[in-house]
Amino acid sequence: MKIPYRLSFALLGSLIFTTCNAATLDDVLDSYQAAGATTFSAARGETLWTTDHPDPESPGKVRNCSTCHGKDLSQPGRHVNTGKEIEAMAPSVNDKRYTNAKTIEKWFTRNCKWVLGRECMPQEKGDVLSYLRTK
Amino acid sequence: MSRILIWDIPTRIFHWSLALAFAAAWLSSLDNRFLYAHTYAGYAFLGLLLFRLWWGVVGSRYARFRAFAYDWPSVRAYLAALATGRATRYLGHNPAGSWSILFLLALGLMVSTAGVLVLGGEEGHGPLAGYIPFQAGDYAHVVHEAGAWLMLAVVTLHIGGVVIESTLHGENLVRTMITGYKKNPGGPGAGVRAAGTTGAILLATLITAGLIYLKGYLMETPEQPYVPYSGPMLPDNATWRSECGDCHLAFHPSLLPVRSWRRMMLTLSDHFGEDVALDAGTAAEIEAFLTANAAEALASEPAHRILASIAADQIPLRVTDTVYWKRKHSGIDDKYWTAQKVGHRSNCKGCHLDADAGTFEDAGMRLPVSAAADASRATSSNP
Repeated sequence: MKIPYRLSFALLGSLIFTTCNAATLDDVLDSYQAAGATTFSAARGETLWTTDHPDPESPGKVRNCSTCHGKDLSQPGRHVNTGKEIEAMAPSVNDKRYTNAKTIEKWFTRNCKWVLGRECMPQEKGDVLSYLRTK
Repeated sequence: MSRILIWDIPTRIFHWSLALAFAAAWLSSLDNRFLYAHTYAGYAFLGLLLFRLWWGVVGSRYARFRAFAYDWPSVRAYLAALATGRATRYLGHNPAGSWSILFLLALGLMVSTAGVLVLGGEEGHGPLAGYIPFQAGDYAHVVHEAGAWLMLAVVTLHIGGVVIESTLHGENLVRTMITGYKKNPGGPGAGVRAAGTTGAILLATLITAGLIYLKGYLMETPEQPYVPYSGPMLPDNATWRSECGDCHLAFHPSLLPVRSWRRMMLTLSDHFGEDVALDAGTAAEIEAFLTANAAEALASEPAHRILASIAADQIPLRVTDTVYWKRKHSGIDDKYWTAQKVGHRSNCKGCHLDADAGTFEDAGMRLPVSAAADASRATSSNP
């Protein structure tokens, strides 16, 4: 089969891009295991994602990940304080998700502190990512 | 009964266009959102006045300044006669009318020239943008407004005079200014030529200029609203925009003073209840951008106004805490704040189309239409 010259570059580019994305997420997961995590479980990740935690600012209220990201991960979320739209978390509808290790760490650090009141363990982060990548 | 042409076509078009521009300028001055329409009305006004100055020299007999150059004694004599109800009938302008018109022409030139100064100084728009200091624009604003009120007073006198004289001589002077004709008193003094070509050119110029100027509004769609903007764009920074813009609108540095941004960057670990600490390199880049372009850089009208409204001992961390912001938003109905498109006071973008750019143009303000519609539906469906 003869593939047009330009199309061959496009195909090659998208192949490299896809591989790199998967590589980023796998690299991140590998780094968590290197930091002491064992095997990852999407089910544990889902539990962590949906567990309520007390809101230190308003007694009686709770926070969880869907407070800002919404219940349906294929839909955009909304920042609970500012109302700004947050792009969908599901990689199936948002291919920019989980493509940059630095960004992944930044948001884990920030949002674990807000929801849990502490930073997440490598095991927890790996579980959550394993859950999110299936969406 | 024979009649005689007094007002040529250009004079009549000038008169009614000027009246229209004056009314449009007054109405559009009532809300900042209509600044763009106000500006067009002002340009049209100034252009018409300049045309009239030229037409006062080359126009037909009664349109020429020579025809209404009366000295004070003749004005006094006319007014005295008017008081007794026996004022002389003039084919052209009477002495008192002449003076009020000359006064209106001078006032109009002053008001519209001052307007161009305000536009350049305060808004950074128009032909004088960048040449007029903000403060000078503020002074011109005082002249602009005082002049406009004075003009309104003279216009009222002018209309009063027309009514009195029309009654006195049993002659509808408003209709005269539309048709151009008056009753022929007989004797010497022929009518004037119509000068239709000049009138057609004048009218075509006004309409074409308006279409070009307001073209953006005529072509806008709900998805692509038109934000007329002719001022300088404000400085931007990709790191600032992405880091600050992740969770909220990236509030432009020009909206708060240096001291506010310094404190903000020192307290990132508790940023309105959230720990948003940044790595040192990113934080340094953002802080440099924020402090270099803070309100003190005076790059926009909001920067000037906000800065002036903050007491020296205050360090506001929210734009919505500044006196200027509160004053500017005090009259806004709750239904707009709770509209889905807005939802939160920090969501400038809900109404300000250019909030991302930080320019906050007067003409960039659009109250959410759906909110008004929702509210009116809710009211009307109430039993």
